[in-house]
Parts: sequence; C-alpha cells; structure tokens
Amino acid sequence: MGGSDLNQPMLKPVLIKRLRDFFAPVPALAWLAGILCAVLIEYQWGDALAVALYLPKVPPLFGATLVLKQPLLFPWAMLFVCLVYGVPIVLIGRLTAGPANRAAAALGRMPVWVSVLLHLLLLYIALHIWTETSDYRLQVAKLIMIAVMLTLSLNVINGYMGEFSCSHPGFMALGAYMASVFSLLLFKADRVFGAPVLPEAWGPYFFPLALAAGGMAAALGALVVAIPSFRTRGDYLAIISLAFMFIVKSAIENIDAIGGPRGLGGQPHWSTLPAVFAGMSLCIWIINNFVRSTLGKALNAVRDNETAAEAMTVNTRRTKMVAFLFGAFWAGVAGGFYAHEVRHVTPGGFGIQNLAEVLAMVYFGGLNSVVGSIVGAVSISFLSEILKPLLLYKWIVIPLILILVMIFRPTGLIAFRDFDPRRIVGPRR
Amino acid sequence: MRKWTTALVVVLAVVLAAGLIGCGEKRQATIKIGINAPITGDIPKVGEGTKYAAQMWLEGIQAAGGLQVGDKKYPVELVIEDNEAKAESAVKANTKMITEDGVLAIIGPQASKQAIPAGGVANDYQTLMISPWSTNPDTTKNRPYVFRGCFLDPFQGPVVAKFIKGEFGFSKAAVLYDVASDYPKGLAEFFKKAWEEINGPGSVVAYESFTTKDTDFSAQLTKIKDSGAEFLFTPQYYNEVALIVKQAHELGFTQPIVGSDSWGSAETVKLCGPDCYGLFFSTHYAAAGAQGATKEFIDRYQKKYGYVPDDVAALTWDSIRLVAQAIEKTGGLTGDLKKDRQAVRDQMAKIKDFAGITGNMTFTEEGDPIKCAVIVRISDKGEFEFYKQVCP
Repeated sequence: MGGSDLNQPMLKPVLIKRLRDFFAPVPALAWLAGILCAVLIEYQWGDALAVALYLPKVPPLFGATLVLKQPLLFPWAMLFVCLVYGVPIVLIGRLTAGPANRAAAALGRMPVWVSVLLHLLLLYIALHIWTETSDYRLQVAKLIMIAVMLTLSLNVINGYMGEFSCSHPGFMALGAYMASVFSLLLFKADRVFGAPVLPEAWGPYFFPLALAAGGMAAALGALVVAIPSFRTRGDYLAIISLAFMFIVKSAIENIDAIGGPRGLGGQPHWSTLPAVFAGMSLCIWIINNFVRSTLGKALNAVRDNETAAEAMTVNTRRTKMVAFLFGAFWAGVAGGFYAHEVRHVTPGGFGIQNLAEVLAMVYFGGLNSVVGSIVGAVSISFLSEILKPLLLYKWIVIPLILILVMIFRPTGLIAFRDFDPRRIVGPRR
Repeated sequence: MRKWTTALVVVLAVVLAAGLIGCGEKRQATIKIGINAPITGDIPKVGEGTKYAAQMWLEGIQAAGGLQVGDKKYPVELVIEDNEAKAESAVKANTKMITEDGVLAIIGPQASKQAIPAGGVANDYQTLMISPWSTNPDTTKNRPYVFRGCFLDPFQGPVVAKFIKGEFGFSKAAVLYDVASDYPKGLAEFFKKAWEEINGPGSVVAYESFTTKDTDFSAQLTKIKDSGAEFLFTPQYYNEVALIVKQAHELGFTQPIVGSDSWGSAETVKLCGPDCYGLFFSTHYAAAGAQGATKEFIDRYQKKYGYVPDDVAALTWDSIRLVAQAIEKTGGLTGDLKKDRQAVRDQMAKIKDFAGITGNMTFTEEGDPIKCAVIVRISDKGEFEFYKQVCP
C-alpha cells in the first residue's frame, strides 16, 4: 500500500498521513492475527456485549442491516463494531507488527507457497470462527465467495482480454446444471434420475469432480461461442455472446430430462465453507498465475493492439480462445458451487439480471485486476445484502454508487494493478 | 484543533442521547412471523399484495392486544424480508429470519422459483413455512415443515376440463401456453391429460406454445383457428392474456377462451377490456358477489389500499391465519424456539376444515391443502363474478 499519491502529499491532511505512517510497518500476518483475535473476542463475549449494549443480538453483518431498520441503535451498533473489531484489529495488528515482520521475513526465505498457505489457513480459521456464530453470516460469506469466483472469471475476458462478453450467466448455468446432474445422478435418489449409482457418503470426495465437470461443460459451451464469433470483435461479440446466454436458457427450458422450466432441485449441500473457500483460493491463485504468465501478457497485447501483437509473433486467435475457455471454465465451477449451495436451479435464474450483477461487480472493482475483482464482488454483494431494508431505494443507491465510481474512476476502483502474493505476505520495511 | 474537539464532543453527546432514547424499549417475549415476499424485482405487485395482507392481519391482532396462546397474550411482530424475486435472495432471507430474527413460522415465498429453494432451508432448520401461492409439487414434497395455501396444478387441470365438458359439451380443445415458464407449462400438460381422458386421445387438436415475453401470437392462433378447436385454454399471466384474447378476436376466433388462476389479477381486465368480458377461468376465490368473511376481507382491503385484492393477497391472508391458528392451538409457548417451532408445525398438520376466505382447507400428508376451486366469469362490467364451485 501507499506511495501512489506522491504527487500531491501537501493536500493530504496531516492526520491521514500520520495514520498511514503508523500502520505502514504492519504486515499481512499481523493484520490476520488482529482479525483472528477480533473474531475470537466476538465468539467468546459477543453475546454478552450485545446484551450490554442494548442490541437484540450480535449483529451479523457489522450491524449495518440493524441500523437501517432501527436507526436509534446506531451508536450502540457502532460501539459494538468498534469494540469487537476495530480496537482489537488495530491494536493487535500494530502491537504484533514487529514479531510478525520477523516471522514474515523468515517465511520469505522459504518457498512462497508455504507462506501463502499459512496466511490462507489463518484467514480460513478466522472466517470459520466468524461464521460459526451465525448461519446467515455463513451463507452470505459463501455466496460472496462464489461471486468472487464469477467476477474474476469474467474479468479475464472483459478486463484482460478486452472483449465485452455477455454470456457469463449462460456459462454459469451450464456449470450449475452439469455439476447438479453429476451429483444427482451418482449420489442422490432423485425424481428425475432415480436411485443413486454410488453410495451417498462418497459424494463429498467426488465434489471436485462434479465441479470440474461443470467447468468443462461451460468451457465446451464457450468453444461453441468462440469458433464462430471470434471472427468479430467488440459490439458484435457482445451480441453473439448475449444470444448464447439466451440459447442456453431456452435449451435448458426445453429439456424435460433436467426439469425444463421447473428447474432441477435436491442437490446435496456440499458447498460447505471449507469447500467454497478452497475453491475460491484455488481460483484466485490459478487465474492470477494465468494473467501474469506469458499467455496473460500476450492477452493484454491482443487487447491493446491485435495487429501489433500478431506482428510480434503472438498467436492471437489461440490466445483469445484459451482465455475465453479459461474464463468460462471458472464461471462453470462457480455455477457448480452455486447449485450446491442454493440447491435448486432454474434456467430463468441465469438471465439478464444475473449478467448485470456480475458486470457491475467487474466494472466496479476494476478491470484487468485480480484485487479489483475481489473488491468489486465483495463490496457489491455486501452492499446489496446490507441495503436490503431500504427495499426499492436499494436499487437507486447501488446504481448511484456505480455511476459515481464510473465518473471518478472510469476503469473501476482498483484497475490495472498486479496482484503479487509475494509482496502481500512479505514483511513491511 | 479546538473546533474539532468541540465538534467531536457534541457529536458524541448527541449519539449517546439518541442511544439512551433508543434503549427505552424493554425486551419482551414476542411472537415473530416472517414474511418472505418479492417486494422488488420482477413481480412487485405480488410482493405488495403479500405485504399488505400481512400488515392488515397484524393490525387486527394489535387491536386485539396480541395473540392469545394458552393463558398468555403475546404481542406479534412481522419480519418482512425482500427476496427480490431471486432464488438466492429468498434462501438468504429465510436463513436470516430463522437464525437471526428467530421467527416462529414463515409465510412465503410466493413464486415456486423462490419457494422451492427457500422451502429446503426452512425444512433443514425445522421451521414451519407456508407458501400461499406456489403450485409446484416440489415445494412441499418430502418436506414435513413446508405447507402451501393453494391447490395444485394436477387438481386445477382436471377441474377446468370437467367444467368445460359439463358446461359446453365441447370435445375439441386447443391449448396455448408459455413453454419457458413452469406454471403455464405444467398446467397445460395436466389439462391436456385430463381432457384426453374425458374425450379420448387426439381431442386436443392444437397444442401450441410460445416463449416468455413474446407478444405476437398470430401464427399460433391461426393454427388454432384452423384446427377446428371449439375453445382455447390458455393458462397465462395477465399481460399475455390481454394480448392473446385480443389477437384471437382480431383473427376471427369467436369460440370461448378459458383460463386459470393466473388470470385472477385486477390487471387482466384493465389491459384486456371488453374483449375479456364473458370469459371463464378457474381460481381460488371470486371477489365480486363474495359473502361473509371473504367480503369482509375484500372490503377492508379495498378501503385501506384502494383496490380489490387479488388471489395472492387472499391466499396470504388465509396462510397467515392458518399459522396464527396453529400457534394458538399449541396451547402455550415454552420460549424455547426449537420446541415451539416443532409444536406449531405439528398443530399445523392437524388442522382440519379450516374456514378460509378461499375455501375450506384440510392438509394432506405432503402439506398440500384439499380445497375447492372456483370458476369465475368476467362480467360485462369487468368484475370477477362467482359462477360455480368445483370440489375434489
């Protein structure tokens, strides 16, 4: 963090600069320690504190929903969030900065994956404890993580490749249906497919396979779009991919074997927190490696100037094809997770509205940026969840925020920034 | 710096004062009932009907000082969650109401697309859920905690078929339905089956389909006209009904057109106009010429919100009263949510001959009500007139 606004330091209030200096030496490890501490405090004393602060219950999403429903509780909700999250995270984070930096430096001498895995493990533990107290929180967290995967996969196409693809809900539907068919056919007694082929207890171990099958189905669908449409660019590709989305929807509606318009239900509840977390981490890791590889750089070259890229020996057609299929694959995987979380999918659920949401997440977060996608997906999903008590006004507030972002940062919040895990897990200073 | 400090102190003081006012309420045992309704999204009118009916019910209860359970009167609170007409949001809303708000029972979601996944959540957490309007069998299938307030399509299809046979004596039917929407498609299939059982195979002479948001039906209607069908059955929603009926008449199709409960919206007549006068459809209740409790409900609703309630509101009204009755019948709440939810569910399953404004109800093992359907005629004034009752 920091250093990007060096051209106007004088305009920055002194306070912010001081705060920045104060937190500059805190590495990711220390922040994680702070977060872990905060969730432990909440787990242990959250209820008692909530009662003492006149709150009906531990506020599930930082009190935001509660405040919108009962504005008078605002100070207490604020106080709760400060005491439980704010103070411990800041305090522990700052206090452990020294040892954490030394630990990070020690970890830095080992292969980078060791350090990354350790950080992920800590993050997972924190998330696990945080979601332990409330199933609603758990569900929101899982759906947000699924949205992260979806957004990232679309960013590969719309951001890194620079094409405007509208077929993402279609890919997601293909993935969701394929994964559902896989798990229903093999592991679950079901109205459509009859008795299971394998014992149900084996199911969770085969879940990755189901997801991969869903991803492959989506990639295959992407191939069908890609072959005819990559002769065109820009608007034309957008229209063809939009058409593809409708084709998928219509096709599923007309196949009675998978439920037709009534949808397919009864999927086992395999999208557990560890599964979704692992899926998301893997997705981020692989996509990040992909876009930082030679192929990813070639992709950017194709986006910026296809003719020049071709002249520099980039096989443009192959590059675009690979990226498109790759993006679709992850959308399919996200669809598989979604189907096993919501446990009922209908073709109507993968439509324009869905597309608008994913696009909003991508463009809000920032094009051509892994961090941007994560930020976009998390913030839009989270906002749309906590603003629900506003009912209709929610659909005014969120688009308004989007418009403001588009005006002041036309490429999104954190666009065109590299996501370097080595730097993130490394020590500060 | 001084200015800032003063401002900070003032803000803190205001905040504290607000907080002290806010905590004046005492914690008290209340009965919470969740409403999972599509207030925004594709079908806001449905959400509005749900919300209004529930709020009207709450007013009555509040006027009576609460809900009498055993020897204690409990205040009642509605937790209204918007499901945005999305499956994912309906699931989240149910999880939130059950695990965070601690509701005793849930009313909604209305459309099957949301009711099926949301029903799965309610069943997992062993909380009573009753969907007033969902007609898909999967909503309640193998879910002991999920009920519904309306009759199912396998019942409605034969009802329409028998009514037409008895009323007109026709033997050649035409069907026009939306292949991409689960409700019309299911109902069209059940109707076809029932009709062919009565009149022999091949008696459905035209079985035409279209896709959601189509607005030109002339190709299908021409085929239907040429097939020699004596009437047309079209289980569509109000916006399509107006288009279909008008276009059929323009093409010179003068035979009766018959519909299903999806016609039962005030919008049908508004959009369709005189073209729809004299047509029949099957539904849950008839607003015009209603008697007794039904009339009372309609009058109250109309007075309060300014329009005649449609079937969603009526079914919601019945569902919420069913839940209230089940709660009352438990004979006393323990305060342990898990036990109370179980007790409410058990009482719900035992309800017999509940006198609802949409007919008497008794529940089957699956949580589906056995109730009568009503055949409504659209009068020459554009009102939904009671014509006939058909019971199973």
